[in-house]
Amino acid sequence: MSALIELTSLTKDYGNFRALDDVNLTVQPGITGLLGPNGAGKSTLIKVLLGLVGINQGSGHVLGFPLGTSIAQIRTQIGYMPEDDCYIHGLSGIDSIQVAARLSRIPATEALRRGHEILDFCGAGQERYRLVETYSTGMRQKLRFAMAIVHDPKLLILDEPTSGLDPEEREAMLNRIRVLARDFHKSVILCTHILPDVQTVCQYVVILAAGSVRVSDSLETLCRVRDPSVTVSVTGDAQRLQTLLQSRGVRAEAAAPFQLRVPGEAGQLNAVLWSAAEETNCVIRGLTPSRNSLEQIFLDAVREVHRADS
Amino acid sequence: MPIHNLGYREWKGELEPSSTRWTVVAEIGIRRAWRSSWLRRMMFFAWVPAVVMGFMIFLFEQAEKDGGAAGVMFTNLSRAFLQGERSAEGMPRLDLSELLASGGKSVAERRHLFWSALLLNLFRRSQPLILIPIIGLIAPPLISQDIRSRAFLLYFSRPLTKIQYILGKAATIIVYLSMITLFPALLLYFVGVLLSPELTVLTATWDLPLRIFLVSAIIVIPSTSLALMLSALTTESRYASFGWFAIWIFGFLTYSSVVPFSRPGDSSIAECVSLFHVFSDVAGWLLDPHFATTGVETRLILLGVLTAVSLAVVYRRVSAPMKI
Repeated sequence: MSALIELTSLTKDYGNFRALDDVNLTVQPGITGLLGPNGAGKSTLIKVLLGLVGINQGSGHVLGFPLGTSIAQIRTQIGYMPEDDCYIHGLSGIDSIQVAARLSRIPATEALRRGHEILDFCGAGQERYRLVETYSTGMRQKLRFAMAIVHDPKLLILDEPTSGLDPEEREAMLNRIRVLARDFHKSVILCTHILPDVQTVCQYVVILAAGSVRVSDSLETLCRVRDPSVTVSVTGDAQRLQTLLQSRGVRAEAAAPFQLRVPGEAGQLNAVLWSAAEETNCVIRGLTPSRNSLEQIFLDAVREVHRADS
Repeated sequence: MPIHNLGYREWKGELEPSSTRWTVVAEIGIRRAWRSSWLRRMMFFAWVPAVVMGFMIFLFEQAEKDGGAAGVMFTNLSRAFLQGERSAEGMPRLDLSELLASGGKSVAERRHLFWSALLLNLFRRSQPLILIPIIGLIAPPLISQDIRSRAFLLYFSRPLTKIQYILGKAATIIVYLSMITLFPALLLYFVGVLLSPELTVLTATWDLPLRIFLVSAIIVIPSTSLALMLSALTTESRYASFGWFAIWIFGFLTYSSVVPFSRPGDSSIAECVSLFHVFSDVAGWLLDPHFATTGVETRLILLGVLTAVSLAVVYRRVSAPMKI
């Protein structure tokens, strides 16, 4: 499987400020969450990928095309949804999407037909005939998403696609992203601050901080813990259960009232836990395997930078 | 969910060439501008002078053929529209009746002279006056609104270069300006050809379409560049409108107050402050065979510099939002 994006020693300066510092990154096909605190360099990285800003050092390939020299080819195959509330003044929703398709070199009649199809896919109704200036935040968000996918790009770069959406719309938006990736093999770079969104849809995670890549791995690998454990929630005498487990060689310890933390994999511990619970007349209400939370991974990556800075 | 909702479908068609993407930008501008009822009214009135002049060509041909009432009418109309020593704006006018009456001129020579005079009047008097409000209506929002609504990210994340974007915006203005300068003048010329008794008129007046193109280009290109620059300098289109009208009005007033007091021969720089008069002089140089050519080089250089500086500023401003 060839990499979607390959960046080597990429550096970008804005005057004296280094926005990207020796970025080495490989992005595989699939859905990748691009995370980072404000000012981490996410927007600059996206602009570099789109050829909107030049680079000072380094090299890279996007979809097999070299950065800097094949801007038109790269942009033809990328769908970009900006975070900013941007729109073309004086156009209706359907006109805007037709213009977006035509700018991506789709013929005019096809662009109109496809514009309607995509707006249907995005759940837009008759409001498509209204001027964009009159749209609500959520509707504008949907329109920007539709404009990003109207030309059937191979790679989607979505900058905060769910911000400003109500829970129902947010779920629908994530679902659309999932459908595009799963059924149509689109690769997606999801740039967001909403970590549960990343945890829900992404396969890979890249964390940028202070202009450099801190974490880049699959979500599964990142969430896998080095010393697995199971948190057991019980009703009854947890103290007795803990003592019994310890007498059987299981290092159980109290995590909270009515909660025990037991080191080991959930699958291996099931039998001993259930039999001990039966013997002590405890009811097991939940078995939760420990996982590294994305939030913790994110905070660790960012704190590392702060420590290095101080 | 609509009954015709097909979900997402892949698209496998043939892409259009990327070199024509500027036409999409131009089309947006043209369609948006055309929604203004004021613009439609002004476009209508912009064609009135051409219609009147077309009627005068008809009268000229009638007068040449059999004189009589048509001849009298033609003389009166040409006096009313084309004759005079100096106009109120200080522009020298073509003394047509004297030229036409001067002996030894063939019909073909008189026709060339008359058509040139008509075109000169069109480019010098009527059309510049309509051009100012039309650009003032179309141009200010063209780039300023894109800056304000951050539309640059939508344009430039697609295979569209900054030069294509500027070309598309410029084409919006050029299309409308051509409709009030180039096309009426060409139509006037073709009306003249159609009303002429023989086709030899084409050989006698072959240079006029070329001159029409040149005059139109000299008026349209600097005006477009200047208007785009003003639009690119602000996010508020009303400031760009104000700047546009201020340049013309203050230029005109300065010219009117300075030139009458300047000594003959050293007024060329002072005369350049008014774009209206600069265009008028260059049009006169191209269309009036009796025009004194002093100072035309200065005006042409000024228009060239104005165009180059304006386009450089536009390019810089269009690039700026990407550098943040």
